Amino acid sequence: MFKNNKQKKEDKEKKEQQKNEEKPKKEPISPDKNQFLLTVKEKLHSPSDFIVRSVSDNMIVVYVDNLVDNKNLNEIILTQLQEVEETPEAIHQKLTIPEVDIVDELNKFIGDMLQGAAVVHIVGHEKVVVAKISAYQSRGLSAPENESQVIGSQVGFNENLSTNISLIRRYITNPNLCNEKFVLGKQTKTSLSLLYIHGIATEEYVNTVRQRISDLDIQDILDSAVLAELIDDNSKSIFPQMLLTERPDRFCDGLLSGKVGIVVNGSSMAILCPYAFIEFFQSREDQNLRWPIASFVRLLRFFAIFTSIFLTPIYVASLTYHYEVIPQPLLVPLSESRAIVPFPPIIEALLLELIIELLREAGAKLPTKVGQTIGIVGGIVIGTAAVQAGITSNILIIIVALGALSSFTTPNYMMGNVIRIVRFPIILLAGFWGYYGIMIAICLMLIHLLRLSSLGAPYMAPFYPPRFKQWPNSIIRLPITFIKRQTVNSRNEDSNESQQGEKKVAK
Amino acid sequence: MKNTLYVGNTQKFNAFLLFYVVTASQIGVGIHGFQRVLYSEAKQDAWISLVLSFVLAHIAVMVMMKTLDMYESNDLYGIHLDIFGKYFGNFLNFIYIVYCMAAFLAILKNYIEVINTWVFPYLDTIFLCITILIIVVYAFSGGLRVIVGICFFSFFFILWIPPILIFPLHYSDLNFLLPVLDTELKGIAKGVLSMSFTIIGFEIINIIYPFVKEKDKYKRYVHFGLLFTLFLYLSILLISLTFFSGEQLSKTIWATLTLFSIIRLPFIERVEIITICIWLIIILPNLCLYMWSAYRGVLRMKFISTKKFTFFFVLIIFVVNLYVNKRATINMLNDYFGKVAFIVVFVYPFILFLFAFIKKKIKKSQVSKNEEN
Repeated sequence: MFKNNKQKKEDKEKKEQQKNEEKPKKEPISPDKNQFLLTVKEKLHSPSDFIVRSVSDNMIVVYVDNLVDNKNLNEIILTQLQEVEETPEAIHQKLTIPEVDIVDELNKFIGDMLQGAAVVHIVGHEKVVVAKISAYQSRGLSAPENESQVIGSQVGFNENLSTNISLIRRYITNPNLCNEKFVLGKQTKTSLSLLYIHGIATEEYVNTVRQRISDLDIQDILDSAVLAELIDDNSKSIFPQMLLTERPDRFCDGLLSGKVGIVVNGSSMAILCPYAFIEFFQSREDQNLRWPIASFVRLLRFFAIFTSIFLTPIYVASLTYHYEVIPQPLLVPLSESRAIVPFPPIIEALLLELIIELLREAGAKLPTKVGQTIGIVGGIVIGTAAVQAGITSNILIIIVALGALSSFTTPNYMMGNVIRIVRFPIILLAGFWGYYGIMIAICLMLIHLLRLSSLGAPYMAPFYPPRFKQWPNSIIRLPITFIKRQTVNSRNEDSNESQQGEKKVAK
Repeated sequence: MKNTLYVGNTQKFNAFLLFYVVTASQIGVGIHGFQRVLYSEAKQDAWISLVLSFVLAHIAVMVMMKTLDMYESNDLYGIHLDIFGKYFGNFLNFIYIVYCMAAFLAILKNYIEVINTWVFPYLDTIFLCITILIIVVYAFSGGLRVIVGICFFSFFFILWIPPILIFPLHYSDLNFLLPVLDTELKGIAKGVLSMSFTIIGFEIINIIYPFVKEKDKYKRYVHFGLLFTLFLYLSILLISLTFFSGEQLSKTIWATLTLFSIIRLPFIERVEIITICIWLIIILPNLCLYMWSAYRGVLRMKFISTKKFTFFFVLIIFVVNLYVNKRATINMLNDYFGKVAFIVVFVYPFILFLFAFIKKKIKKSQVSKNEEN
């Protein structure tokens, strides 16, 4: 990422400061009970949910309330601690809990404690036993709301990292599925996992992602969307260069075709990269439908995107400057519907587009049921009233509604946003300079798309650089026997060959 | 060999993309109205002139590629420096850079004029010039990869032309083509000469050669590209010749656009207005490639950053653009530029080839002499 020199200098200073801070952090654990409690409390600024429980004269258990699983604490730790010899090693052996550690460093066990561990301290020992019995408060698995599909699995990620990874591991039971753990954010210490399938994913991309994540120097990270913007190639672009998905099946589909995935704790969206432009318009459901139907739907979607971006600008341009392009039979109803409209087409179009955007925003922020009502009432009432009041023409209402409808067919929410927003500058250009203005927009957009890359891989692949063999399956959905498990930009020759072999055997 | 360019593999592009580069660099503003001049020279045998000019183009491009093959990985600028030495070589390079800028200007001016005539009569030429320059600079700053990408995509914006020509085909009369070979040979030859402004563009191979990946099979793609352009030009020319009468054709400046203007579809009329606007993306690769060629040449003389070059290039083009704004001046520019282009593209390669050949022979004999000694 681009940083100017000043920032770099500041970063260096910061890093030095951190080093200075980090060095004295290695603090020993006091063997004395009171001293131990004092230091721990001081570290945590004596919070109200810090609980000390003494088991015997020499042994205490400390933990943070609500982070630990009370059942485990009562039934296993507290009962078993009564019976064992009072040394850390003995406790470590006896406790029937999957994860038990002996730690001799203050800050480390405090970190564990904040993630939900019970810490056993014994007088006279400079070590403590850390028993990880964390209880996660997470919502249950539910259907993905933003990426719903009719046919296919109905499970979505939730906010818990380990649940999400277990979901993925259930889909891909493969020892080659690699899981690398990172901790990001100085304040939040958010854990995240880098996932890829060894042998299918291209090493180069894995290294790039790893490098970019470890280079990050940030205070906090609360959602994967922020991370995606931080590590993509051109964060100033309007186009998303990484996929955010809440569908485990789509995520695994990506992993299986050689992409690199990132799952962030606390976020129900997983990141997939590198992602090419065309892939944002392919839905996972296309794979589940029969191929002619899926192809039809996909073509319909491309048509919808085109309409969504260009229909209103073409209307504005045609009615402002290029009347002669419209044949006479069509021109009559068009002019009739515009006869009492007092504004030029550009104002008319911008007004309606803004109303539609308002309705969408209001609908998205309100609860589902109210949102629907607002959508219907707002749409019908405002639409009809606007025409009757003579502010807009009916034909423009049809066009704008069609454009809005079309923009929602994009299977990816992020890309759908882009499609909707990119319309506004094009409408302006069309209103100022007609078709020439639209063409300026097309040229600039094309150049911009050509300049973009995702993890260094071309964004416009497979169209440019042209890989003609991948064209058919990018535009339509070929029958499964024709599909090689290989998507845009993830070329790992060996794995493809072996998979083709497998397919033949399966037949 | 000195002055050889070292181009990293990541910067290179596949040879088959040359097909798109050649077609995109050839098809530009010339296609809008090459028929009139051609007709005035060669009458109904204009198509023979066209075919002959393409034959000549194939030969010229062959010679160019032969010259380039003598050097492993070098462009025209490097070859100049190698053959003619530092001073004269740089002088020739300078001329070529000026040629590129002239081509850039000619394309720009012609396109702006078409827009002003057909679509927006009162739109300021300065504004049009600025918008086009912004787009070109944005593409240029993306590097060769982006420029070749635009070449590739602009090809698909051309593809709809042949099918749409079916409409005027209904009204065409083959008798207009007869009698064949009625014109004198001189007229046909003059017709070939007049085609030069429309047909040039493939000389980009001189500069782009080091960036081609597969040096052993790139030639066929260049020839395919020329053949595609021939097909497109020939189909337009034949339909124009049979659609218009001779008198009409010699009075129509933009015959192709007039040809399009009769097309009526249920939802669109006056297709030529859309065509002209779409043409922006078709002249874009032309402009980018010429700008890029000029930059390569400037780099050989003095290393300057892309930003600086862009600034000066745009400034010069913009200032010159202000002085060329009448139909007569533009016509003059086209005429002069056409003649210069004919020399640069069709005559000069042969001379250069001769020099390069002699130089190679001398070097060989020197080497063998050295070995004997």
